Amino acid sequence: MKSIVVLHHLLLFFFLLFSHVSSWKKEEFRNCNQTPFCKRARSRKPQHCNLIATDVTINDGDLVAKLITPNRFEQNPDQNSTDFQPNPLILSLSVYQDGILRFKIDEDPVYNPPKKRFQVPDVVVSEFESKKLWLQRYTKGVIDGESFFVYLFDGYEAVVRSDPFEVFVREQSSGKRVVSFNTHGLFDFEQLRVKKEGDEWEERFRTHTDSRPFGPQSISFDVSFYGADFVYGIPEHATSLVLKPTKGPGVEESEPYRLFNLDVFEYLHESPFGLYGSIPFMLSHGKSHGTSGFFWLNAAEMQIDVLGTGWDAESSIVLPSDQKRIDTLWMSEAGIVDAFFFIGPKPKDVVKQYASVTGTSAMPQLFATGYHQCRWNYRDEEDVKNVDSKFDEHDIPYDVLWLDIEHTDGKRYFTWDRALFPHPEEMQKDLFSRGRRMVTIVDPHIKRDDNYHIHKEASKNGYYVKDASGKDFDGWCWPGSSSYIDMVNPEIRSWWADKFAYSEYVGSTPSLYIWNDMNEPSVFNGPEVTMPRDALHYGKVEHRELHNAYGYYFHMATSEGLLKREGGKDRPFVLSRAFFPGTQRYGTVWTGDNIAEWEHLRVSVPMILTLGLTGITFSGADVGGFFGNPDTELLVRWYQVAAYLPFFRGHAHHDTKRREPWLFGERNTELMRDAIRVRYTYLPYFYTLFREANVTGVPVARPLWMEFPYVEATFNNDEAFMVGTGLLVQGVYAQRARDATVYLPSDHTWYDLRSGTAYKGGKTQKVEVTDADIPVFQRSGTIIPRKDRFRRSTVQMENDPYTLVIAVDGSGSAEGELYIDDGKSYEFKEGAYIHRRFIFSNGMLTSVNLAPSTSKFESDCTIERIILLGHTTKSKTARIEPSNQVTDIELGPLQIRSGVRSSVLTIRKPNVRVSDDWNIKLL
Amino acid sequence: MKKMNASIFTFFVIISTIILRSTAISSNDLLGVAPEDEMYYKGLWSSGTIKCKDGSRTFTKSQLNDDFCDCFDGTDEPGTAACPTGKFYCRNAGHSALTIFSSRINDGICDCCDGSDEYDGKTRCNNTCWEAGKVARDKLMEKIALYRDGVAIRKHEVEQAKVSAAKDEAELSNLKNEEKILKGIVQQLKEHKERIEEAVEKERIQKEKEEKQKKEAEESESKEHKDEEKNDAEEQEHVKNHNVEEQEPVENNDNEAAVLDDSSSRQNTKEDPAEVVQNAHASLDNGEKHDPKDEEVPEFVHESEPNTGVGSKGEDAPKDIDALSKEDLGREIGSRWTGKKTEQQNHDAKNDYDEENNEYDTETDEDQYYDHDTEAHRDDVIDDSSSSYNYDPDDDMDMLDTETESSPSWFEKIQKTVRNILQTVNPFQPPVDISEAENVRKEYDEANTKLSKLKSRISRLTKKLAHDFGPEKEFYSLYGQCFESKQNKYVYKVCPFKQATQEEGYSTTRLGKWEKFEESYNVMLFSNGDNCWNGPDRSLKVRLRCGVKVELADVDEPSRCEYAATLTTPALCLEGKLKELEDELEKQPQPHDEL
Repeated sequence: MKSIVVLHHLLLFFFLLFSHVSSWKKEEFRNCNQTPFCKRARSRKPQHCNLIATDVTINDGDLVAKLITPNRFEQNPDQNSTDFQPNPLILSLSVYQDGILRFKIDEDPVYNPPKKRFQVPDVVVSEFESKKLWLQRYTKGVIDGESFFVYLFDGYEAVVRSDPFEVFVREQSSGKRVVSFNTHGLFDFEQLRVKKEGDEWEERFRTHTDSRPFGPQSISFDVSFYGADFVYGIPEHATSLVLKPTKGPGVEESEPYRLFNLDVFEYLHESPFGLYGSIPFMLSHGKSHGTSGFFWLNAAEMQIDVLGTGWDAESSIVLPSDQKRIDTLWMSEAGIVDAFFFIGPKPKDVVKQYASVTGTSAMPQLFATGYHQCRWNYRDEEDVKNVDSKFDEHDIPYDVLWLDIEHTDGKRYFTWDRALFPHPEEMQKDLFSRGRRMVTIVDPHIKRDDNYHIHKEASKNGYYVKDASGKDFDGWCWPGSSSYIDMVNPEIRSWWADKFAYSEYVGSTPSLYIWNDMNEPSVFNGPEVTMPRDALHYGKVEHRELHNAYGYYFHMATSEGLLKREGGKDRPFVLSRAFFPGTQRYGTVWTGDNIAEWEHLRVSVPMILTLGLTGITFSGADVGGFFGNPDTELLVRWYQVAAYLPFFRGHAHHDTKRREPWLFGERNTELMRDAIRVRYTYLPYFYTLFREANVTGVPVARPLWMEFPYVEATFNNDEAFMVGTGLLVQGVYAQRARDATVYLPSDHTWYDLRSGTAYKGGKTQKVEVTDADIPVFQRSGTIIPRKDRFRRSTVQMENDPYTLVIAVDGSGSAEGELYIDDGKSYEFKEGAYIHRRFIFSNGMLTSVNLAPSTSKFESDCTIERIILLGHTTKSKTARIEPSNQVTDIELGPLQIRSGVRSSVLTIRKPNVRVSDDWNIKLL
Repeated sequence: MKKMNASIFTFFVIISTIILRSTAISSNDLLGVAPEDEMYYKGLWSSGTIKCKDGSRTFTKSQLNDDFCDCFDGTDEPGTAACPTGKFYCRNAGHSALTIFSSRINDGICDCCDGSDEYDGKTRCNNTCWEAGKVARDKLMEKIALYRDGVAIRKHEVEQAKVSAAKDEAELSNLKNEEKILKGIVQQLKEHKERIEEAVEKERIQKEKEEKQKKEAEESESKEHKDEEKNDAEEQEHVKNHNVEEQEPVENNDNEAAVLDDSSSRQNTKEDPAEVVQNAHASLDNGEKHDPKDEEVPEFVHESEPNTGVGSKGEDAPKDIDALSKEDLGREIGSRWTGKKTEQQNHDAKNDYDEENNEYDTETDEDQYYDHDTEAHRDDVIDDSSSSYNYDPDDDMDMLDTETESSPSWFEKIQKTVRNILQTVNPFQPPVDISEAENVRKEYDEANTKLSKLKSRISRLTKKLAHDFGPEKEFYSLYGQCFESKQNKYVYKVCPFKQATQEEGYSTTRLGKWEKFEESYNVMLFSNGDNCWNGPDRSLKVRLRCGVKVELADVDEPSRCEYAATLTTPALCLEGKLKELEDELEKQPQPHDEL
């Protein structure tokens, strides 16, 4: 294991040395050693913390305690000034429904700290408070010292140990721990102080100076996950699904996983370096416990170490050895401890628990789940017309055409370059006459031009972020000298939202949606290409305290704008590059400026799966890779893989060659068309899954272990993924691949959707691969709805009939669901939708209603074809009830696609309506 | 009688129904089937089943257009959207028939002008065929008129081309003959000259020996000095007469190879020593687009917005970004995404240099003759229009060539002179007559100069004739011509068989050198133009269209540094195509159909 880690780092080193030295400017970004709080926290030894919890009481349904430094201990060696006496901290702990423990640690206002520390607003959903379990009492006991117990969930309790201070969750009966805080005594909380003579608080990085007027205020602590084989989550990093150890035996010279939203030019495909978004939520999964989670709501720069086994060998801490454990170290520059434990124990439980705190993902419009065509830049109206017509000429469906920054008048958002786009309304209307939408870009940097209305209003009203001296912060971005809207302020967000009114955004129409880029925020001449940490926001909050949430508030404001312009009736579509917990409520994200390389295609899968695990299911990567020119085979494979991922958009840098799907010869056009059509075929299934995500928080694209939590072989598989419970997609990430090695989880039969061939699960299969598609399997026991007809876009598919693909399990049964609504409004919230459960057993398929009986939504859609995989029957006919009709059963194709030959049992033209109750019995 | 009539009538109806059933199939049954395909479906009425066109399976009459896809290829669903690969035929009476993808059927969008693709009652389509048809017919007639004119012009040009090509070929073979003879003469003269020089040298050595003893000490130094001066003078002479090659290596007896060598040696000799460095630098720059000299100076020019500016620098030149001002730092970081523009600047500078010193063109021998003052031409250019002019590759040809073409007199003359010289001058009889020796040298030089001119003329003609001018040499007349089109601030210039450029003010960017025709003479490809930072070498595809005049239009850059344009030319006005168009018009509904 050790040698593998060393080899890995050696490879990484050579990779850094030879292949990307000229692109990723490593030295322009701070590493842990250049970041004082990180360096300090990392160098601390276990048992550093000497706090004890005292004065434990129940107050307002919370358990409250003081954390004090007893006199018996030596002076904290970390504190520079000798006369420093830390004030007690306040711990408050609350319990919520479904197995969620929340605890906060902050300074005690009684001692008048120089400033109130920042708590991130508008992230935790308002409904969450209503799920609070009002604590009435605690019990006292002894576990390695005095401890206080509170009920958490059936069979689980939360424990606060007094001395040394520790918080953990354990199973009540067995006493087995689930997740714990400060077990290794690495908790440290730098309290705000008044600056004294001789205090050197400034920090310098390259030419930038951070004045740090409030001095050091960082927080760090250790969190341990028990029964854990692997940990996952904490996006955004371009790295494997499983988080590799960053510190400990065998790990040399590695950085912690960094969470600091940055605009990174040509990022590496294998690095712990922080990218555009941050979600401080980690999941652990193991065979013995299952899944648990830890979330720290904090928007300052964060660094997280995954500690390799044996890292604490020299400490005297004794922990139960019968439980596999993964320890982690969390470090943040500012803020408070606002932490959540999620007990699981199943993978889907943890994501649901997390979703109950930060919200489930917004229900997308149907069009947004189709294919998006983007490029920096489609130059002018003629270019737009031409690209649009080529899709029709080649009979390739697509739903949205995108315009990047060059469409504006000098990078002034909400304007048009009238030389290139003289008739934006007509252009959008023309596209929409064929069912296609348009997306334009709106970034948070505002050109400092006195003739620009946005700038005029923002500067007049004081809506810009201020620099440390209190003047409007002036940074450099696309338009040149720019200022940044202070989106933390709800009033400013409301003002911004109004800018999307059709009367304000001249040239916009109802079929226009928005893309938020550069919202980390990207500041070309700022430290690490972002805003100085001492810049000031609404409420005198320093940028350092909320940096990671800036893009989130911007995204939120834009999304609210689209909601407002249609009086709250039209679901917004806003794509954002930066993200934070809660982003899922406002829109979509993508993985930023990736590169046209096989390794980037490969890493896009774990990146998107990780986003899904941490709440943001509607995400994708630029198809083809943003920078560089993909070779044709890579481009085709990218389409084939991305067609199964939630957000499906082709995008490219302006220096790259055009790469629309019809530019690579007939055969490749056909391959890309097939890939895009596959996506459209499965849209009913995707839409049903988006609805599931909207209700429960369970992602559309899932790591295998989420569906097979007991199958160890799946735990670190990030080459394959599940779409819902039914489809297993194996990516192909190498040139000229002739076969693929696929692990098919146990106890199921898997049907290769290319041929209908059945594979036994529980082993690794080698399957043939051609250029035509990637291996995709349907799991036995599932029913998947499709639409096998192709149109220009989702709009024209509305009335097309469905196909159901039934893959029966060993007992001859299968189940699946179909969700349909109007695809655009919020009427589904009033019950206006169709939701069916299809149940197949004993040779009979039944459609059961899951929607409220009062549903106002109707559809004339029928089911034209039912395909049976794994079912053997001699019957040639089936009887449909209640209409009492008989229809034929014959052999038909599994997919209607040129070159695909398969013969599977097909119930021909049952033509039952999807909205009705019915059953079909094989005779 | 009445009853009888009724039964006859009934009988008739039955009979005709049977006949209709078996022979005529109603158009509803064959919804979406093209007339030429109707035969294929007849089997459904005779035998009940037929095969899908791809042979994958069979289907019955009841499966025809039953809105369920039975054939992979859509044979059974010509009139519905059930099969993804199906095609739907709309008759479009009053206009041309149209075949559309079956994905368009009942999709709420009117694709056929007769509205036949929207029959589910959800969408109402007006029949616009007659109006659309009229517009199309008018267009078609215009096109036919254009083609008729074009075809005539093309015919003429093809004939012209044959004549010109024959003339060029005749001239070439003529020149080759002359070259052969001239070579012989030069060789003779050379040998003769050498013998004389040997003799002179001998005499000189003799004399020198005598004088040497006297003046040895002071003379030697000053003499060397003089020699140097003389060499310099000679060098300058080369530069002035850049067409003249002094040291023609006559030993090279093979014309093509010799010519190529010559051109390169001439380039070397013609360079002013003072400019050698710069020139070498320029040619180096041609290969690798990095001009280290310019890289040191950061340029801040944004592609689309020169005044806001986004920084750029040479990709590999390490730059201390910490040393930049805040504003420059912003530009510098931003430039990583936008691309670096200094390369463009460098190159423009280089091109300026080239234009100012256009005799230093480091391109092939031929290119030298294409050089011309672009400024002069630009004056002729009318805004936003396309224009053309000749660059005459023979512009620089001196009298020699006109003589060559007009009369063989100089040839006889030179032969005669040489004969005289060879007879009169006898180098084996010292003392050598100095004036005679001068004469020989002069004749030799003259003949040699002429030979080299002859060679370059041969080379140019050979190169010209080696081009592919199309199956009928229909593009022959485009040789030596350039066509311009002005779009906004740029002037695009396409010189077939040579190169294409984009000019902005004084800077020229080469979009590509002539590469070849593509797509069976429908596209001209210019490739290997100036390199783009982080991108490909520039290239241009010129799509050719029939037109009575040669005109350049629609210059575009669909992909970064990959340009496209159209050029109209009579060469593309093919008779076959005209026939096609006429047939198409023939098939169009005639005015009486309207009634």
